[in-house]
This record gives sequence, C-alpha cells and structure tokens, in this order.
Amino acid sequence: MTPFRKPSPVVDIGLFLLVVAGLSVLMFRGTKTLGYNWQWYQIPRYILSLEQGKLVAGPLIKGLMVTFQITGVSLVLSFCFGLLTAIMRLSASFAARGIARVYLELVRNTPLLVQLFFIYFVLGPIMGIGRFTCAVLALSLFEGAYASEIFRAGIVSIHFGQWEAAHSLGLSKLQTYRYIILPQAIRRILPPLTSQAVSLIKDSALVSTIAVYDLTMRGQEIVAETYLAFEVWFTVAAIYLAVTVTLSVIINMMESKLKVVS
Amino acid sequence: MYEKTQGEYIIVVDKINKTFPNGVRALRDFSIKVRKKEVLVVIGPSGSGKSTFLRCLNGLEEIDSGSIVIDGIPLDQRKENRLEIRKEVGMVFQSFNLFPHLTVLENVNLAQMLVRKKSKKEATETSMELLHKVGIPEKARTFPNHLSGGQQQRVAIARALAMKPKVMLFDEATSALDPEMIGEVLEVMKSLAKEGMTMVVVSHEMGFAREVSDRVVFMEDGAIVEEGTAEQVFGNPKQERTRLFLSQIL
Repeated sequence: MTPFRKPSPVVDIGLFLLVVAGLSVLMFRGTKTLGYNWQWYQIPRYILSLEQGKLVAGPLIKGLMVTFQITGVSLVLSFCFGLLTAIMRLSASFAARGIARVYLELVRNTPLLVQLFFIYFVLGPIMGIGRFTCAVLALSLFEGAYASEIFRAGIVSIHFGQWEAAHSLGLSKLQTYRYIILPQAIRRILPPLTSQAVSLIKDSALVSTIAVYDLTMRGQEIVAETYLAFEVWFTVAAIYLAVTVTLSVIINMMESKLKVVS
Repeated sequence: MYEKTQGEYIIVVDKINKTFPNGVRALRDFSIKVRKKEVLVVIGPSGSGKSTFLRCLNGLEEIDSGSIVIDGIPLDQRKENRLEIRKEVGMVFQSFNLFPHLTVLENVNLAQMLVRKKSKKEATETSMELLHKVGIPEKARTFPNHLSGGQQQRVAIARALAMKPKVMLFDEATSALDPEMIGEVLEVMKSLAKEGMTMVVVSHEMGFAREVSDRVVFMEDGAIVEEGTAEQVFGNPKQERTRLFLSQIL
C-alpha cells in the first residue's frame, strides 16, 4: 500500500453506500419507465425442480455443468500451452523462440470469436474434430497465449542469482526450471493467473455461438421460450459471478498458504 | 579419459580474453596456474576483472579466447566436460543465492540428489555433517529468510561443499555481510583452507589473506599487476599501482 493516509472509514463507507444507492435508484427508475412486469417467480424451475420427490437439475444447471467441463479441460490445457510457450520464448534456440512468437502474435491479434469460428468451421471439418473439442481447443489456445506472457514475466522476475547458483551446483536447465525457478515463479504470478482463469470462464460463454449447450446457450434457449430476457440474463450473470468469485477466493486462500519470502 | 592432473596444477588458465558486449575488456591475455590445496586470494579495484576471472572458471562466463583446464578437464564446448567441471568446482556468491522456497536442509540436499544421484537418506547424512561443520545444524528445518546473513552464507558454503568439489571459488563472500557476521564466515573458510581445499578467493579481507593464503594476486584492468605471498604484496608491494590500491583500502 502507499504511505498516504487512509480516508476516515465513516466517509469511505458513506461514499460507497451513496454510489450504490445512486445506481440502484437509476436502475429502478429505468425499469419503471419501461413498464416491465417482473416475473422472478418463473426462474427457479429453470435452476432446480422437484420431480417425483427428487431434486432434478434444471436446464441452467445442466448448462453450468457443460461450462464446467469445457472450462475445466481448457484451464489445464491453457496452463500447459502457456508454460510451454513461455519456456520456448526464453529458449536459446531461434526456432523455439520463432514458433512461440508466431503463435502469440496470431492469437493475440485476432478476436476469440473469429478464432472459434475458424477452428469450428474450417479446422473442424478438415481434421474431423467435434464441437466440444473445437470449443476447448479455441479457448485453450487463446487463453494459453495470454497465460504464457504471465508465466514469462514470472520466470524472468526470478533473481538471476538463482540460475547462477543452480548452474554452479551442476543442475541441468530442466532441473533448474523444475525445482528452482518454476516453484518460485508460479507463487509470484498467482494473482494475474487467477484473473486469467476468470477470463477463461467468462470467455467460455462464446462457445454458445457454435451451439455448445453451455450456460449461456441454455439462457438463450429459455429466453426464446419465455421472453423473460431481464430475469434470465440477470440470473445467468449471477451464476457466472458466483463461479468466478468462488474460484478467486479459493486461489487467494491457496496463495497465502504458499507465500515465499525471498 | 583425461589425465586427472597436469602435474600438481589443478587449475591451468592460459591467455584468456573476455570482452563484454558493451565493449568493456574484462580479461586481457590472463594466465595463471593454481596448485592443488593452494589458497589463492585475488584482490583489485572494481572492474579489474577478478570476479569475471572467477566466473570463467566454472563456466558462468564464456571466454573469447584462450584455454582453461581444471583437474585435467578442458572447459570447452563439450557438454560432458562442462558438466564435469561444474560438479568439481563449487562457488559461493556475494549474495548467497540460497533457494528461498526450500529449507536449509533441502537447499544442501538438492544438488546431491539431482546431480550426484544420492538417495535422500545419504544426502541428508552428508548435509547434516556439513551443517555441523559450518556451525548451524539446528537450523536444518528453517527457511533461509529466517537466518542472518552470516548464517545464510554458511549454508551456502555447506551447499557448495555437499557436492564434494575439488576447487572452491569465493566471489566476495563476505562483502554483503554486516561486520559482526564476517568473522563467522571467515572462520569456516579458514578451516576449509587448513583442511587442504583448493580455494580461489576474491576478497577485500586482508586479515584472511595474511592468515591462510599461499599466494595473493593483484589485478587491474583485466591483467595481473603483481603477485606474491601476502607479506610480499601487502608489506612490500613492488608496483606503484599496487601501492596506490592498498593505500586506498588499508
């Protein structure tokens, strides 16, 4: 934190409540002028419903499960792509650095949506890969590129003396990465990596455009049936929020356990 | 295989040159021979090339020309040679460079297990012996950031010794320590010297040089200006530049 004085808590919280109140009033006024008839009571059945005494997942939860599957696999893959690319960018080999650079520039300079369509409509038929795989591939490649820059920053931030000590003890490059550099680097970059993971979860909503039945797609389905656009999108947004906040909280708890003082 | 020694010389440096990318000429036709069990102390102003010379000995810096042979192994482009030399030459740094995410014991164990392929049990045995030797066996399970500078440096020495090197290099090992901790580290270095370890020490510690060194070399601008025993170099310097340097630090 900066050495500047903290504002008085009363003023601080007072201002915050004022802003929240102001925004709520604006929203309320806005919807009133629309003359919209809120039908929140319709929503719960799309989340969970009771059928013959058993709790059954509604379409929104089913969609959430698909989202979990896609983001779960993509998180792991993008971590791998990211780490591999970062190490390639730092390699002494010109070829390795070149390949990594080309991949990074291609992925970072085109929209995810376009990459998704390209993989699904062009690569899909050519290589015979299905919808789910296309979705995972597109997400992993995209987020992996950004993750790689985060990894690279973390690796490069490790004091060069660590490399020198490892070298002097006879460790190979791979051993140095595995036992000395990466354990320290990853702990340092957990905050930006967390926001990468959150980005991935949010960007996964785009797979609805290639008809993968994730949370967003299900939301669209329900709106098409019931026209309850306001209620449904609020709910879907709230579900995404719950997921990403939970993830952030878990990683933050891990972070404090893993703290390394150097 | 190689002749394990070239006579009694364990380090043979022949006309090495090194120029840094920014144009600074760190070493000029630098040659020196170090005997087994010799304690060589290198002194000189900053920028004289003494650290560069040390770092060339274990491959941390590349030489532009000339040759280095350590224990009969030439330091050339061949991987096996370079690896062998890194195993036989231990280095202690000014900024310790301990691994902060590992405990003291893990720091000393790591290279033994990964490079010398020892089991955890064997490594721990050796590590504890060495930690005893440097005087801090009770700190085995602590993390480096909880130790004082002097303790950290002693762990660094133990870590380097764990690889059972034939040569130990010290790059201004006490320059980053508070005065009250310099003594404990020098004691470890002195006992190492008395045990017969070949040591090349870059240092400003004249007392240490007087007590245990066999030879003192004064470097400036990448070349040796004067060499001799500690009494000769400190007490009766022949070169004007040596006199000038000594007057500035004594």
